[in-house]
Amino acid sequence: MSDTPTSDTRMSDTRIRGRVWKFGDNISADDGIIQYSKVPDLATFDIPALKAMCFAELQPDFREQVKPGDLVVAGSNFGHHSHAHACVAMKESGVATVVVESCDSVFIRKALNVGLPIVVCPGVTRIVAQGEELEVDLATGEVRQPDTGARLHARPFSDRMIEVWRAGSLTAAMRRRLAGRGAGA
Amino acid sequence: MGQTVAQKIIARAAGCSAVEAGSYVNVSPDYTCCQELSWQTRKRMMQEIGVDRVARPDKVIMVVDHSTSAGMGSPYYLSHREMKDYAFRNGVENFFGAGSGLRHLVLTEKGFARPGLLIFSDEPNIASIGALGALNISVSTEVIVTQITDENWMLVPKSARIELAGRLPFGVLLRDLAQILIRDFATGDTLSQCCIEFHGPAIAHLSLDERQSLLACAYHTGADTALMPVDEAALAYVQERAQERPYHLLSADPDADYVLETCYDLSTLSPMVTVPPDLHGAVKLEDVAGTRIDQAAVGSCAANRLDDMRAAAAILRGRTIDRAVTMYITPGSREVYVQAAREGLLEVFVAAGATVLAPGCTTCWGYEGALYDNEVSISTHQMNYHGRNGSRLARCYLASPYVVAASAVAGKISDPRAILADMGAGA
Repeated sequence: MSDTPTSDTRMSDTRIRGRVWKFGDNISADDGIIQYSKVPDLATFDIPALKAMCFAELQPDFREQVKPGDLVVAGSNFGHHSHAHACVAMKESGVATVVVESCDSVFIRKALNVGLPIVVCPGVTRIVAQGEELEVDLATGEVRQPDTGARLHARPFSDRMIEVWRAGSLTAAMRRRLAGRGAGA
Repeated sequence: MGQTVAQKIIARAAGCSAVEAGSYVNVSPDYTCCQELSWQTRKRMMQEIGVDRVARPDKVIMVVDHSTSAGMGSPYYLSHREMKDYAFRNGVENFFGAGSGLRHLVLTEKGFARPGLLIFSDEPNIASIGALGALNISVSTEVIVTQITDENWMLVPKSARIELAGRLPFGVLLRDLAQILIRDFATGDTLSQCCIEFHGPAIAHLSLDERQSLLACAYHTGADTALMPVDEAALAYVQERAQERPYHLLSADPDADYVLETCYDLSTLSPMVTVPPDLHGAVKLEDVAGTRIDQAAVGSCAANRLDDMRAAAAILRGRTIDRAVTMYITPGSREVYVQAAREGLLEVFVAAGATVLAPGCTTCWGYEGALYDNEVSISTHQMNYHGRNGSRLARCYLASPYVVAASAVAGKISDPRAILADMGAGA
């Protein structure tokens, strides 16, 4: 992985490449990605607690084995009825992006707002297996399995979405945008 | 290509003549609506951004609905205080405190939800406002962006058309259809990122309360949001409450594009029960009848309107709930509470042995009526996953207010039709 560009290396690069953790269909956000009922304090993000429960019921070795820059690939209806805690859990665990067969729009927003891109890419579960590499370009929507050369096209992120992802969070992007607006006024 | 109703609503808010499904557009919604549970996150976000001002106070609606009583030991009293202070400091007149009711009902009853309006809220179940032709787009804590700048981006949803035909049989409610739709669509991609446009001859026979029950559950099919046509009943309701505020009557173009067109015949339905822990686990009531229960609850944005109160009362009138069952009933707003009192429904509930809670989300997310290990509940709630209402070992069945009330009386999951027939009440 060291010879491939990552999202951090160049600001102009919108490609993300990493090792895949693969999950099935209908993974619930509140009782799958995390156990929302076990979150100690809903008013804040308890990072150690959220990391400890991230995918713990589905892949018990995720917590120990996940590395910064890894990708999550999942099937249909990923993260239904989400609270932002599930997004924070994945982001803080080091997940660089999530590629799914389908999910609802508000989950994509919640994840992006904490800096985690979710790409809807029908067919992705057929081109990549657990532990394999996957490359995603947020700006073009291209999803590629580098070992097999298999390619798919997802809906590209808009400029506003890439702005949030680059800034690292919605609040960072808003701070920059409002500062820019203030300077221009 | 023609435009769907959702596309027309979004195009107006985007200031253009048409928008393409699946594209991203910047819009200025007519209102934003948010609750208190996420206040601490929103406050922290605004602090990080360095902004403490609302661009258009007249477009902001804030409602305390998740934690109706700021009880001792609960951290939420602080959020009640701070959100209220923030609203008043910013000149937000549309602040509704604890006990006012759910955002869903405040939006309709106070005349905010009007035909053709676009509302950014913090919950997808607020699609219930689609009964009045207003489009809910859920953006969660991100409502602050629109509150600060009066605009934000959104994805234009694809549209799907579901026709409703026939009349509901005796003892069956639209909630039963909601559970069937979730069973049929939740595990696939068909309705993903869609707006469902319900239409068809059945709608004229459905009350606005029933329509909202179905729309409040639409998100669980995988859809982003949902709408219904604005017919005479809907328009009369809006005109009564709009107070001269504008609205826009829109209909889909004949050549509008839909990813799915299908039909459900309401006359073929029967009472359903959704079995835990999957939301798509609806089965015919007969399959689980006789399952012992410890708790029953009528409430949540899926079933807390006056018609739901009447349905529960039709079963409970002159009866008492099983001595082993605890029952909670939560009217969805002050207006529903008052009307239920006028009609004598609250007296029916209390005489039957149920507890009436203050208007709010209450038992649906376990703030009240929490379950202990291995307890079994049946409710009209929105969710049934492990731990949703307390212990992860509890089991939460979902059903219509008829089924929930009948089960409370019997102490086990029971068919309401026998009781309704006995009383000459029902559909």
